[in-house]
Amino acid sequence: MPTGLPGVRANFFGAGAQTARLMLYGLLAIVLMAIDQRGHYIPRLRALVANAAEPLYHLVDWPIRAAESVAGQFRSRERLEATNAQLRAALLAQEADLQRLETLAEENRRLRALLEGAQSLVFKTRFAELVRVDLDPFSHQVMINKGSSDGVEVGQAVIDAEGVMGQVEHVTLHMSRVRLISDPNHALPVQINRTGLRAIALGTGETGALVLNSVPLEADVREGDLVVTSGLGDRFPGGYPVAAVTTVLREEGQTFAQVIARPLASLDRGREVLLIVPQFTDEAFIGPPDMQPEPEPEPEAEEEGGL
Amino acid sequence: MNKQRDNARAFYITMFAALVLAIVPLPALIEAVWPFWMGLVVIYWALEYPRFMTLGFAFAVGLAMDFVTASLLGLHALRLVILTYLVLRFRARLRFFPPWQLGLSVLALLFNDRIILLWINTLVGQPLPPLSYWLPALAGALLWPPLFIALDRIRSAARSRLG
Repeated sequence: MPTGLPGVRANFFGAGAQTARLMLYGLLAIVLMAIDQRGHYIPRLRALVANAAEPLYHLVDWPIRAAESVAGQFRSRERLEATNAQLRAALLAQEADLQRLETLAEENRRLRALLEGAQSLVFKTRFAELVRVDLDPFSHQVMINKGSSDGVEVGQAVIDAEGVMGQVEHVTLHMSRVRLISDPNHALPVQINRTGLRAIALGTGETGALVLNSVPLEADVREGDLVVTSGLGDRFPGGYPVAAVTTVLREEGQTFAQVIARPLASLDRGREVLLIVPQFTDEAFIGPPDMQPEPEPEPEAEEEGGL
Repeated sequence: MNKQRDNARAFYITMFAALVLAIVPLPALIEAVWPFWMGLVVIYWALEYPRFMTLGFAFAVGLAMDFVTASLLGLHALRLVILTYLVLRFRARLRFFPPWQLGLSVLALLFNDRIILLWINTLVGQPLPPLSYWLPALAGALLWPPLFIALDRIRSAARSRLG
């Protein structure tokens, strides 16, 4: 290698060769982006590389987590007691709700047996925490601290206490990446809870707004309507709250109404999330995750009851 | 020979630091102005020691960033390749600019980078960003003088520790 001043090569080798290289790399980058945007090949490539990035996320996450736990040590006793009381009240209220739910689930099971709905899903949930890293600020994605070693799979739904957050897009050994419902590339089959009207909720790139597409102009949609998952598409289980309708715009001459909804989940400030693990069973059971399906009663008796 | 090895060490350390700074979680207010650290570091090395900062390396670092930040594959690669090309192309002139003029050039480079990013984002279907979208470029240019001095220190520290 000829010795000389640094940069001599870049200066005297001629701008032409450099420009050719710019074109080459630029073209390569654009081709890669086009392939990635269409969703071909690149996920497999990411799977190869992503495990190498995991330690880097740990490196960023760990000091923050440590600082938070130290800060937690110094939290005052009164404040802890106050939160404790608050949580106890919330628990009591929810247990009361659960009692009612239990009878509803029982009723639902019997009705389903009547309809001979053979297969249904039992959903288990698994707790996960967000990893404190910021990914690309222009795409809405978060990392969670459960990965393939914990049984997480691509496509699993992620919710928080208020509603649906997104779905697992990529899994590495101890972490997974979740695409949030607000991402412009995300679409979620939903229905209006009040009327059962089906639509697709599209992300807009803003955490505060989803767009419901192909809602007919004359459809019965009002501000404040609850939007829940419809369960179509086999990705998300049905019936989980997603968003509340904020604006409905009906313009003459348009085919569809413009419906905008605000996501219920705290997409930009949540800490803890739940992963929903679907399990196919032959039991016709819909209910809270911790309730075990009871042995199926005699079908004859059920049919008599129905008749 | 030694000099090159010391420079290489400083080079890789600063690249790694810039990569980490890209994924550090931040409060929303700071994140709105958080500069493109990797861009600044790449400008520095292309100016000061272009033997390392080739277009191929810019492309490779960009791909690494794309993987780590889970952005569109090739996005950072394209941004960094264009940035590196511009600095290398006008290096002879930039090197002899007085500091304030160099600072303005860095501002122009960072704005150009934001324009490329905006172009790709709109192609992908992102909504048009608010005016605050341009703040990181401004912040980057403001942070350029202290960063330049700090990187010079790191380089000379890496040299003196071995020497």
